[in-house]
Amino acid sequence: MPNSLGYCGPDDRGLILRHIEESKGGDNLASILKEFEAAYPFLRLIARSTGMDAFDYAVPEAYWIGNSLLDRVETPEFYRFSHQELVGKDPKEVRRLFRSAGGRARPHHTFYVMSTYATSSVADGPSLSQDGRQKVQGLINNCRISWGEVKEVGKKRLAVKYEPVLLDDGRLSLAAPAVRKVSYNPEVGSFSKVKPGDWVTMHWDYACEVISPAQLRNIAKYTALDIDATNRILKASPRKR
Amino acid sequence: MCITKVGKVLSAGKGRAQVEFFGAGDLGDVDVSVVGGVTEGAFVEVFGDLALSVLSPAEARRRKAVWDEVRKAAMMPSPRRRARP
Repeated sequence: MPNSLGYCGPDDRGLILRHIEESKGGDNLASILKEFEAAYPFLRLIARSTGMDAFDYAVPEAYWIGNSLLDRVETPEFYRFSHQELVGKDPKEVRRLFRSAGGRARPHHTFYVMSTYATSSVADGPSLSQDGRQKVQGLINNCRISWGEVKEVGKKRLAVKYEPVLLDDGRLSLAAPAVRKVSYNPEVGSFSKVKPGDWVTMHWDYACEVISPAQLRNIAKYTALDIDATNRILKASPRKR
Repeated sequence: MCITKVGKVLSAGKGRAQVEFFGAGDLGDVDVSVVGGVTEGAFVEVFGDLALSVLSPAEARRRKAVWDEVRKAAMMPSPRRRARP
């Protein structure tokens, strides 16, 4: 369910869901989606850099899953965007992020999530309690777009084998596979024939969509790049050591 | 996806705080346990439902000014919605 926790954007989630179920677009859907204060600016950036429309399928796909459009966003443009178009971002932290990650910083949702933690004032290493580490890990794992293989299909929940992000000794990595259960909506076209062996993306407690082999390669590739870029920021952070 | 929000702590206790966010002025019950030492009147940066930074009053004022601008812009009618004479 889009924005069911209210962390992401406007409250019209029922309307968005109906659009998804009925595979309908339209002006009112576009105007609701533009109210996603964090996501929509990124779509605009990717669209601007690639000469596409913000709602061309490949644009949100680049931001959410990852694809080659991300490589066409020039670092100076992403830097300028981060200063001028991301509401509430601390300019000092933006400068620090780009100093450490440089051209490895990409307008990918997972990088946004991981770098938000990396540039925060939460301590790490011995200064962060076990409980605190679990909470930060939980936040990153829930908010990033993760992916996994469907093992069981229930009426409302899927059992999915995935690799959680691990925060250990001030570094992020993907941990050994684990199985988690997530909700899904069988009314959404992508899930109408979901079966064990399919690969899905997940966000918070929800499976978002069934993905293709090419999308699977992309999300794995860009997440690995995001982890590498974030670890560079963490390594250079005085507060994390 | 989560939005990074900034707000003022209205009350705090046992690792949680009631925060009034800049911009829309909405309230949120926030986990402040990983930043520690959060008391009433402090300013926090929140991601999801977890506070990740405590801000100085000066930084909070600067961030509030940005959110106020965004709020003001959102309240202004767009040219399309403006009533015709």
